[in-house]
Amino acid sequence: MRLFVSALRKLAPRMATLLTFGLLAGMLVLIDVAVVATRGVSNAGPDRPANVLALITFPGAYNQILSFILGLGGLFAVIYGAAIAGSEWTWGTLKTSVARGESRSRYLLTTFAAIAVVLAVGVLFALVVGVVAAAIGATIAGVGLAGIGDRAALEALPEHFVRGWVAITETAALGFAVATLARSQLAGIGVGIALYFGETFAGLFLPDVVKYLPFHLATAAVGGSTGFAPVPSVTGPVMSTDTALVLVATWLLASLVVAAGFGERAEITG
Amino acid sequence: MIDPGLALATRGLRKSYGSRLALDGLDLSVPTGVVYGFLGPNGAGKTTTMRVLTGLIHPDGGAIELLGRPFTRRDRHRLFDVGALVESPAFYPYLSGRDNLRALAASGAPTPTSRVDEVLEVVGLRERAGDAVSRYSLGMKQRLGIAGALLNDPTLLLLDEPSNGLDPAGIVAIRETFRHLASLGKTVFVSSHLLAEVQQMADVVGIIAAGRMVREGSMQELLASEGIVRVRVEPDEVTAAAATLARLTAPDRVTPSVMEPGWISVQIAPDRTAEVNRSLAEAGIYASGLSSGNDLEELFLTLTGDAASTDPDGTFAGIDPSLGRLPSSEVLS
Repeated sequence: MRLFVSALRKLAPRMATLLTFGLLAGMLVLIDVAVVATRGVSNAGPDRPANVLALITFPGAYNQILSFILGLGGLFAVIYGAAIAGSEWTWGTLKTSVARGESRSRYLLTTFAAIAVVLAVGVLFALVVGVVAAAIGATIAGVGLAGIGDRAALEALPEHFVRGWVAITETAALGFAVATLARSQLAGIGVGIALYFGETFAGLFLPDVVKYLPFHLATAAVGGSTGFAPVPSVTGPVMSTDTALVLVATWLLASLVVAAGFGERAEITG
Repeated sequence: MIDPGLALATRGLRKSYGSRLALDGLDLSVPTGVVYGFLGPNGAGKTTTMRVLTGLIHPDGGAIELLGRPFTRRDRHRLFDVGALVESPAFYPYLSGRDNLRALAASGAPTPTSRVDEVLEVVGLRERAGDAVSRYSLGMKQRLGIAGALLNDPTLLLLDEPSNGLDPAGIVAIRETFRHLASLGKTVFVSSHLLAEVQQMADVVGIIAAGRMVREGSMQELLASEGIVRVRVEPDEVTAAAATLARLTAPDRVTPSVMEPGWISVQIAPDRTAEVNRSLAEAGIYASGLSSGNDLEELFLTLTGDAASTDPDGTFAGIDPSLGRLPSSEVLS
């Protein structure tokens, strides 16, 4: 437990943490500002104003905001997981703990558990900021807040949140495993980003294969693609969200097993 | 069981990195309650030894005993009684020195939080403990690394170049701290390049070259038995001079220097310096330089020979400690 608490204390003040979730929340605010600022523009087609205003129109705004967070959050999470795991090797802090007799796999898995908690808190923070910004935007734009207390939307929100959290935790685990294998922060981040966009690109040619890969599964687990998700859902047979969630959990566990197994056997030098 | 009086022992320790042999059957015997100076030229295997002893890498063969009990890759708990500083100190740069030690205390051996401020006091960092480590100087990071090694009040300390980056006052303070720890019955194993520093601090010395122990023993015994006389002759007279000097002692105790052409080291009691000079003169060889002594540096250079300047691959691996050394006051010319 002391190792877990310590891991959380190490993550909280870290620039990577502040930047990741600050950026996510900041982008949500900026989008709402843009929506409000352009609400009168109608030269992009008859449907555009209504679609754009959907971002600040409750209860639909709840899903829009969450989808944005979870979509972009997948990319941010892979980078975040890689940054944290890679720095343990780059800075030599894993070495110092191992030399004190700490179990390598326990150390790595506890670090990841702390990452998962930080992701939950960070996503919640971004969601709250997004909802507040959307509410302010709706008020300014004169859309009204009638749907903000919609019972059905509010009741569905926790499940979507948990599914989304598991999904981005899976992508963070992927980045964590890659950086552990690479023993490097930069290499882990680079490979994580390459996998993210590589999977998106491969989805154009191999949809039946790519739908089982981590980023597409993460999207499917939260209910498929929305207009904001950077990883588009693949065409082909539809996978149920529950099946996708099970596969997401499998990828998550497999990534952690690889990271812990490698960490346990690795020769720590430098 | 190797010897119950030893805090640390290795027998036949072997480790290779690919085709390069780093440890070639290293035998190490570190008695309990001493400061042990672990010396060797660059590439000799000192850091590899440190990594093996702290479980960071695993040996290909041989046995290790830590504090009287076998240490294998399944015995990480044995390190709970060991404090280590391996290579450069490693910390989270954005955390303060105090928070780094708190984070470290959460791993490995259970350590009370109050111990953090105690060790900060020992290394003289208490006033700057709240500053981020990224703002620390090299010497301050080194002090913090030593504080981290002391955190669990270890019975055995393994320290790799602990004086790196320290100012003279810091070196003296650290030396006194190690001496104090040894007086409390703890064992301090120090790997270092600073021969003079080790000579002042260590009770026992081990000298390693090319992955093997070439000499080990108490500092007093080694220095008493290993007097060195160095002579300088014309480079084309080195072979004849070496043959002449070999008759005074033994061929394997006469070592012409590769790094300093013309210089020959003879392992012989310093009080026979005049005899060395006379025998050369009788052979028609006149020394242009002559020095005698029994300091650790002479012993180190003699024992490690060319390994001090080349690694096992034969490539340049560091500065020969003899380079740039001024002739001693005893040099005749």
